[in-house]
Amino acid sequence: MFGQRIRRVEDPRLLSGRGRYLDDLGHDALAVAFVRSPHAHARIVDIDVSAALAVDGLVAIYTYDDLDGRTSEPLPLLIPHPTLNQGRTPYPLADGEVNHVGEAIAMVVASDRYVAEDVVGLIQVEYEPLPPVVGLAASRDGDALVHADVPGNVAATMVQEVGDAAAAIAAAAHRATLSLSIERSASMPMEGKGVLARWDADDESLLVHTSTQSSTSVRQAIAAKLSIPVDRVEVVTPDIGGGFGVKIVHPWPEEILVPWAARRLGQPVKWVEDRREHFISSAHERGQLHEVEVGYDDDGRLCGLSVRFWHDNGAYTPYGLIVPIITSTQLLGPYKPGAYRVEFQSMYTNTVIVTPYRGAGRPQGCFVMERVMDAIAADLGIDRAVVRERNFIQPAEMPYDHGLMFQDGRPLVYDSGDFPASLAKLKALVGWDEFDSFRAAARAEGRRVGIGLGCYVEGTGVGPYEGGHLRVETDGSVVVSTGLTSQGQGHQTMLAQIVADELGVEMERVRVTTGDTRRFKYAVGTFASRTAVMSGSAVALTARKVRAKALKIAANALEAAVDDLEIVDGQIRVKGSPGSEIDLGSVAVLSNPLRYAFDAGAARATQFAGPVDPTAPPVPEGEQPGLEGTDYYSPVGSTFANGMHAVVVETDPETAEINILRYCVVHDCGTVINPMIVEGQIHGGVAQGVAGALYERMEYDDAGQLLNASYMDFLMPYASEVPHIEIDHLETPSPLNPLGVKGAGEAGVIPGSAAIAAAIEDAEGFAITTMPISPSQLFDLRRRHCER
Amino acid sequence: MEFLAATTLSDALAAKREQPEAVPLMGGTDVMVELNFDRRRPPALLDLTGVRELDEWSMDGDVVRLGAGVTYTRVIEELGQALPGLAMASRTVGSPQIRNRGTVGGNLGAASPAGDSHPPLLAAGAKIELASVTGTRTVSIDDFYTGVKSHAGRPDELITAVLVRSARGPQQFSKIGTRNAMVIAVSSFGLALHPDVKRVRTGIGSAAPTPRRAVEAESFLSSALEEHDLWETRAALADSLVREFGERVKAAARPIDDVRGTAAYRLHSLAVMARRTLGWAWADYAGGTA
Repeated sequence: MFGQRIRRVEDPRLLSGRGRYLDDLGHDALAVAFVRSPHAHARIVDIDVSAALAVDGLVAIYTYDDLDGRTSEPLPLLIPHPTLNQGRTPYPLADGEVNHVGEAIAMVVASDRYVAEDVVGLIQVEYEPLPPVVGLAASRDGDALVHADVPGNVAATMVQEVGDAAAAIAAAAHRATLSLSIERSASMPMEGKGVLARWDADDESLLVHTSTQSSTSVRQAIAAKLSIPVDRVEVVTPDIGGGFGVKIVHPWPEEILVPWAARRLGQPVKWVEDRREHFISSAHERGQLHEVEVGYDDDGRLCGLSVRFWHDNGAYTPYGLIVPIITSTQLLGPYKPGAYRVEFQSMYTNTVIVTPYRGAGRPQGCFVMERVMDAIAADLGIDRAVVRERNFIQPAEMPYDHGLMFQDGRPLVYDSGDFPASLAKLKALVGWDEFDSFRAAARAEGRRVGIGLGCYVEGTGVGPYEGGHLRVETDGSVVVSTGLTSQGQGHQTMLAQIVADELGVEMERVRVTTGDTRRFKYAVGTFASRTAVMSGSAVALTARKVRAKALKIAANALEAAVDDLEIVDGQIRVKGSPGSEIDLGSVAVLSNPLRYAFDAGAARATQFAGPVDPTAPPVPEGEQPGLEGTDYYSPVGSTFANGMHAVVVETDPETAEINILRYCVVHDCGTVINPMIVEGQIHGGVAQGVAGALYERMEYDDAGQLLNASYMDFLMPYASEVPHIEIDHLETPSPLNPLGVKGAGEAGVIPGSAAIAAAIEDAEGFAITTMPISPSQLFDLRRRHCER
Repeated sequence: MEFLAATTLSDALAAKREQPEAVPLMGGTDVMVELNFDRRRPPALLDLTGVRELDEWSMDGDVVRLGAGVTYTRVIEELGQALPGLAMASRTVGSPQIRNRGTVGGNLGAASPAGDSHPPLLAAGAKIELASVTGTRTVSIDDFYTGVKSHAGRPDELITAVLVRSARGPQQFSKIGTRNAMVIAVSSFGLALHPDVKRVRTGIGSAAPTPRRAVEAESFLSSALEEHDLWETRAALADSLVREFGERVKAAARPIDDVRGTAAYRLHSLAVMARRTLGWAWADYAGGTA
């Protein structure tokens, strides 16, 4: 199974309309709608609900004043950091001040969503507008403050340095400076967020379904906020139509408020986000401004690199500094920077919060580093691929320690990779060396074509741990659970493949459950391309444990030595001795000594079924009944996947439209469990990379209104915009985990802007320093470069 | 909000007379978006989807009478020969689902400068049929658009049909969007050659408060064609002529900067589209017998 192109077991269900998304659940539940701020920054003077109270079907209106206990406190700062000394998080409902358009002010519970929306329209909120801070320039200006008690709008300043970058740059033979920026974008899952809570008054317990990437952590948060013993709360993640990072943030205000209201009202309560709410009250990402100084030698080798950047974190910092920390470390990609200094400031603005979106700070870093590589190549007149080759960390230098601290609080040490081999594959795939003649021929026809490269390294499989539970049922089927959640990546398939191989059963016998705290209570979550590494390793270790137990029981039953046994297709047999075998289901029966026979199988495990050893207890010492096991995987550090993309674009000399002619990917995520799933992940990632490079942006006006908060003007690429993607794999196994895997979820998106910017630059002949880029902007750049 | 569902045209006209502020609803591809964004809250919606009379098109001599309820999909499938410009524009509207719902009549009713059917209807010289309980009248498309998202119809009138003469010469449509599919035009341009009357007509979309013709550019081109006897000889057009036509089309536009593009880009792209559509249309004319 391992390494095979197995079709996803999820797909028949999802493609035939049998998916169970959040909004498919809870038709008996009361519905929720929110009054959300129309102002980017304002004081709330008064909330008048009198006109709304007569509406038929209204159940309750809640404002901040109704919140009790710990629900009235700010939401948690999920990832504290020593340098984040001005962290701020919102209240579930605004307490007197709103800091972005879309912030929740009042919660309406009603018989259905229509009624709830009507009530929302009748609630009058009086505001005293405050000056809004929109964009990094205004934030850095500091004339107006987002939070009155945060001077200069600076949430945090963080510096990391290895060597003396300033001295190294000063001493270098060549120097360059670059100013680079990347616009905001956002995760756009098919279904937005949603929460359904059922309170069982007799049991005093909550069952919450929520569209999250971390059900175990939401469970803890709800228990803490509602002051309910944690064993009285269970959280289940149904099909959620994609997460892409936005759903790792938790608890969202709604994840506290909906269960809180369900308990208060003694009725099921449900809220499902609409698309406008997703734009203005979830989270965005990207959005950074970089100032780079670099020193290099005559061959284009980096001597020193100094990067200063400003990160727009929006109105609050619930997810800490994770995105800029990732940018500041993963910027280095596959290269040795010489001396390196990075300083960033995480800045408040009166806009939606900024938290990880697939790629999570890496697309910005990759864009910056690859622009630096191209600038060096242009300055010295060296082939762009050659400059990269000269700066690569070499395979013999692995593991490679950058001397920096990574997002997991551990040293940034690359575990594996063969960058020269990857680039060689990519050059062959795209025909790098032949492109000059293609470009020249196209030029002669009046066409403009260009090629660009983007290389990245992605820290994946971030800790601290994941676990797996596996049980062989008496019918021989295998049920597996892991605590992290699935957003449609094919986890059920991939984990079943691993278990089938490790245990020696047919894949069809394996059923995998994710993200259900009733099944597995200890987990971290799905982010940072970590499921294959973390839960994959955990279920592999678990399967090995259960296999060992099965072999022990079978050895006893077959009167054979454990070492002589093998498991094939669910049958345990003595190697080379056909006929002497026992199936796993029977072993499961034997593993659980019974008093009562409820079927023929169970009868075999009852007390009079066969000879017994009167001196030994029925359950051997140190063992537990049942053919099941639990194990955990907790690595010392992250794995580091890598990849390289090459893009060929054509720009229209007249209309400045940008077309991608070819998109080539060489990808190294270590050992590949299922190439079809990895390629699917790459395809989706590349689509989002193209989106970030050419289409998606958040158009805030100066007042902090998001002008394109709908799919009419927020442009996601369709099939007509996503190029055919050519993929080659390189497998350099990770030494860090039992499977040698390195994670593939985010990879495809990371070098999109870097490679496409380089290709447009190559086609046009002037520097591209800001992404995304639209035809209108390219036209503008052409005019500024005095053309036509 | 009241929801009025008419099943006959006379019912619909009576309802419109009764409640002139009721907003007619056909495919809903404009109206529902506006309601969803809370941009308008009309006191009533007048659902016309059940009015069969609006769903048909017919030929009266060489004039197509296109019922206001005929969808873009049907225009594409059934009227590609008679109304090639409109069919081309219809192909660029939204997605298959939108084209199955959206109607040319609805597009005219919304009268958005970005509506895709306006440029080809301007270029073809269409007439709009407006009906009320007191009677039916037709308005030339040249007089139809009266302001941003407003038109010449009275509050008690409904748009019942568009009358367009079957094409006598090549027609072309070009649209610059922000993406290849499912987009609202950054700018668009329609062009129709009318060799029978030796005229060229145009339509500009998304580059002025209303859809409009580039009248001066049309006159310039028409007289240049006549002057050089090009309608007869069908000889290649001089590059300078094509270029000048593009510049004059550009001069007719009054675009704004918005999230979809800058005014400067819109002007530039209009000139490019004018040149290209003229080139394509003239190549058809030169190569054909039309």
